Amino acid sequence: MSEHDDATEAFRGRSVVSAADFGKAEILALLDAARAFDRYDDGPVWTPQPPSLQGRVLGTLFFEPSTRTRLSFESAMLRLGGSVLGFADARISSLSKGESLVDTIRVVEGYCDAIVLRHPREGAARLAAEVAHVPVINGGDGSNQHPTQTFLDLYTIREAAGRLDGLRVGFMGDLRYGRTVHSLTEALMHFDVDLKFIGPESLRLPRDLREHLAAHGRSGVEVEHLQDAGELDVLYMTRIQRERFPDPMDYERVRSAYRVDRAALEPFGEDLKILHPLPRVNEVAPDVDDLPGALYFRQTRNGVIVRMALLHLIFGGGAGA
Amino acid sequence: MSRPRDFRLTDGTVIDHLPVGSAARALELLGLPREGPITVGINVPSPSHGRKDIVRVEGLFLEKYELDRLALLGPDISVSIVRGGEVKEKTVLDVPARLMGILDCPNPTCITNEEQVPSVFERLGDYPYRFRCVYCERITRGEDL
Repeated sequence: MSEHDDATEAFRGRSVVSAADFGKAEILALLDAARAFDRYDDGPVWTPQPPSLQGRVLGTLFFEPSTRTRLSFESAMLRLGGSVLGFADARISSLSKGESLVDTIRVVEGYCDAIVLRHPREGAARLAAEVAHVPVINGGDGSNQHPTQTFLDLYTIREAAGRLDGLRVGFMGDLRYGRTVHSLTEALMHFDVDLKFIGPESLRLPRDLREHLAAHGRSGVEVEHLQDAGELDVLYMTRIQRERFPDPMDYERVRSAYRVDRAALEPFGEDLKILHPLPRVNEVAPDVDDLPGALYFRQTRNGVIVRMALLHLIFGGGAGA
Repeated sequence: MSRPRDFRLTDGTVIDHLPVGSAARALELLGLPREGPITVGINVPSPSHGRKDIVRVEGLFLEKYELDRLALLGPDISVSIVRGGEVKEKTVLDVPARLMGILDCPNPTCITNEEQVPSVFERLGDYPYRFRCVYCERITRGEDL
């Protein structure tokens, strides 16, 4: 078996808790598998025939609200011919009666072949994966990890830029609390990428991550303003959340300073790829949406494709769709 | 200068080579005073370490989980068991690569603080120790655990 086949096989029956659990070869194998599902460039998502996951059941346990993650997992499973059951609100689950997560997982694994879990507590997915006899996919555990978001971000960048190596990637906004920033930064460390971090002093990258980057000689550039970031191939925007600022005036000041519109992006050229995990509030002006590099809605579409590939590989499908 | 007679243990434990300033934390970690008498030396000259803290507790014999907690305070901490006025056993504490169930995760929203499961930390490198919770993935300094 080739290294690529090994990497593909490594997903079979495996839980997906953190993007950091996956090496470069495995990430690339997943992105390649996703490419095989991406038949209609920029069009509707392809539905494979015959469906490969007929008879399989995916449990979606969402203890916290989610639109994109839950719907895209459900869409992915349905397009592969599988079925979905679960809940989208902890109030209708037995958690509201005081049942522990461990017990809930032990019950639900009897109803399905894999579980997608979103939970407000950090570490919930790791614990669920230890307990369950079926694969558990982390759909977000508090402020910790959201690995399929990282995979779809990587996929979107690679498809749009044609590569991952050699890119200059800027992250802008809430670098401190934004879990998508942390997770994608770590994943990009597998590649030859120049990292740039654009944000206010109060929302710098967490110290642990800065030390981790420095220890690998990848500290990147930290600047407060976009115009100081130099040349960029990719700009990854994040939402700055009101609850991070005790003083509402500080929030308003920072929010307006980290908003981009078409004029602000013009110096970077029309090849700049603009990503955002959504939902956005006002950090990306609507006049950016029509730029060829505005990829944030493309990301949501790619979310279905990458999750199809992931489910396909977890359930033992080969590299080809 | 001869050592004052009161500092000698008959049956008990000497915790030696504590980093300067950590004696109070050691007493806190071990829930002392629950045995005694206790003598504490702070900023004591040491031929091998320059300066150190030292704690002697009459009547105290530590469990494994207590030794694991103490070890977080610094490298080279030694624990001597004294019986009949003589050192019977001396151990230099080692910090395990994995700490299981001996400390709570300081992250209040970590799942281990809600579910009935033991905490698990992985040690990252040598002293100054840092630990990653295997569940919430937060990294914490040893002295903050």
